[in-house]
Amino acid sequence: MNGRKSSVLNTVERYYKEYGLRAKELKAEGQKIIGYVCSFVPLEIITAAGCIPFRVRGNIHEPITTGDTLLETIVCPYYRSCFDLSSKQKYDFLSGLVIPHGCDSMVRSYSAWSHSLPFSYFHFVNIPTVCDDSSFEFFRAELDTFRRSLETFSGKAITGKDLAQAIRVHNENRDKARALYDLRKADPPLISGTELTRVLTVGSSLPITEANTLFDHVLAEVGRREESPLQKGPRIFIDGACVDNIELIRLVEELGGNVVADTLCNGARDSLPLTDVGGDPLQALADRYLGKINCPKTYRKNKAGTFEGDMASRFGDIGAYAKEFKVDGAILYVYKYCDPFGFEVPARKAYYKSIQVPLLHLEDVYSAGTMGQLKTRVQAFLEMIG
Amino acid sequence: MAFVLGIDIGSASSKGVSLGNRGRLGSFECPSGGDFRLAAEKMRDELLSQMGKTAQSVDRTVATGYGSKRVPFADEVKSDILCHAKGVSSLLPSARTVIDVGDLYTKVFRMDHQGNVHNFLLSGKCAGGSGRILQVIAKVLQMKVEEIGELSLTSKKRVDFNTGCAVFAESEAITRISDEVRKEDLLAGLHRALAAQINSLVERMGVEPEVAMVGGGARDVGLVRALQELRNQELLVPPEPHLTAALGAALIAMESLKPSE
Repeated sequence: MNGRKSSVLNTVERYYKEYGLRAKELKAEGQKIIGYVCSFVPLEIITAAGCIPFRVRGNIHEPITTGDTLLETIVCPYYRSCFDLSSKQKYDFLSGLVIPHGCDSMVRSYSAWSHSLPFSYFHFVNIPTVCDDSSFEFFRAELDTFRRSLETFSGKAITGKDLAQAIRVHNENRDKARALYDLRKADPPLISGTELTRVLTVGSSLPITEANTLFDHVLAEVGRREESPLQKGPRIFIDGACVDNIELIRLVEELGGNVVADTLCNGARDSLPLTDVGGDPLQALADRYLGKINCPKTYRKNKAGTFEGDMASRFGDIGAYAKEFKVDGAILYVYKYCDPFGFEVPARKAYYKSIQVPLLHLEDVYSAGTMGQLKTRVQAFLEMIG
Repeated sequence: MAFVLGIDIGSASSKGVSLGNRGRLGSFECPSGGDFRLAAEKMRDELLSQMGKTAQSVDRTVATGYGSKRVPFADEVKSDILCHAKGVSSLLPSARTVIDVGDLYTKVFRMDHQGNVHNFLLSGKCAGGSGRILQVIAKVLQMKVEEIGELSLTSKKRVDFNTGCAVFAESEAITRISDEVRKEDLLAGLHRALAAQINSLVERMGVEPEVAMVGGGARDVGLVRALQELRNQELLVPPEPHLTAALGAALIAMESLKPSE
């Protein structure tokens, strides 16, 4: 890292550390902040309702305590940390919370959240598990239910026009996220993985228009850089669920690797896919959230009928990113008790082998205390591929 | 004449090797204790005094192991997997799969004929499958850890151990003692259980012969035999198998001197 720090990245760092700072101010101004977990919640509908979507985060430095009185330890530690912080009033500026069927833990623990937290609005979004035509039809109806529920809560009609407008602003955000990702294509990348993760994380705590302005400033600032904050090193791809604390990515970069791409929920999985414009907005949202968010939670039919075809339809995006960002190695980072990713590990390993990208599989418990143990593995991996 | 040090600060014990142009000069081992920095300094002092050298005469030092970052005088830090590979490759050129049984982790890795690592796997974050249980059981039986291997080989009636967890294994051992099971039978059972855990790691990695076993755990003949029996395969164990990472570190130090010579 170079010593000179820009003002916008300082702001990002502050918002990252004091996560929810801006949301608190907006709440004081009378705005309604709607919390959500997981990338499957259609944020456009929340924005169209005149509310502010806010991604609930965990904290790997905060031991899980009160949360464990209501959630058993078979729930993944990331989700337990999110719940633990919520139960400790960390997010008491929220007016409501939306939870989708992103994994079994989210379904089974929904009542724990909705009965123990003091928010006035709760909604559960049923996400289909498969991608058949009927699933999209069902999901559109489900999103309409969500829309009506937010209308009741906000006291404001959400028209097709409102939705189309929200889709446009959220798409702008994804275009900017894409532009930020493009800065990683240089070798060494112009923006570090640590910086980008902070920017995207902070972005999900702001009203979408403010996030867009912030991303513009970051793009301008980083675009002015004459040299990269990183040295040349192995270009690393991070594959996993929600890695919303920077420690792992920073560890990789401290050890000399450059994190250049990912499939993370708080990264490329959610930040890049666009929503189609021009048609029925609810159908477009159903298509984006079910069809374009590639999460292991969703079963995608093996249309080719071959093992290779199955691999390509499930993990083809990984291969495409690996090529586009010239990846030298990948880290598959899975939380203990994360069912959707846990079941997929052998298939993913096979896929990485087939595209000849060296892979390090790490299982972790969402705690800063494990960084020493991860370091042993990451260091050896970087030396091996370096 | 070149003089280099390889220093391996492990979680439990520290190992060091000194090399000259004609090969190995000296070696030393001591507990890492609670202060890795102190252990590193003690290691250097001992290696220097063995050869009657001063700190200034050291051309290069490479540190490795869990405490490698705490070696203040190291010129370079390398991961222990790479160092083991280098060390094993120099001692056992035919080895392609290496099992390193350490106190903190068991590691399995594959390498080519030049000692370049191609893939590796570590045991889980808990002590299940690491060499730590050998220390634990020696303490329970009030024996020295160096003695348990030989005793285990004399077993006629191995007991079955059911658990892969080091803490549960300790309580299981105590239960066996209260059942008046013979020490050797208990040890043979424990070695078998640990070998089975290590073997599952080996199988996940995939094996290319020949297979070498190193690390402190490879000094335990009971464990080596249990793993050989389980795999039905001969394991190559170099002399002083606990020193291979330190040796590899010293070899890496020596190699990086070469271009300037």
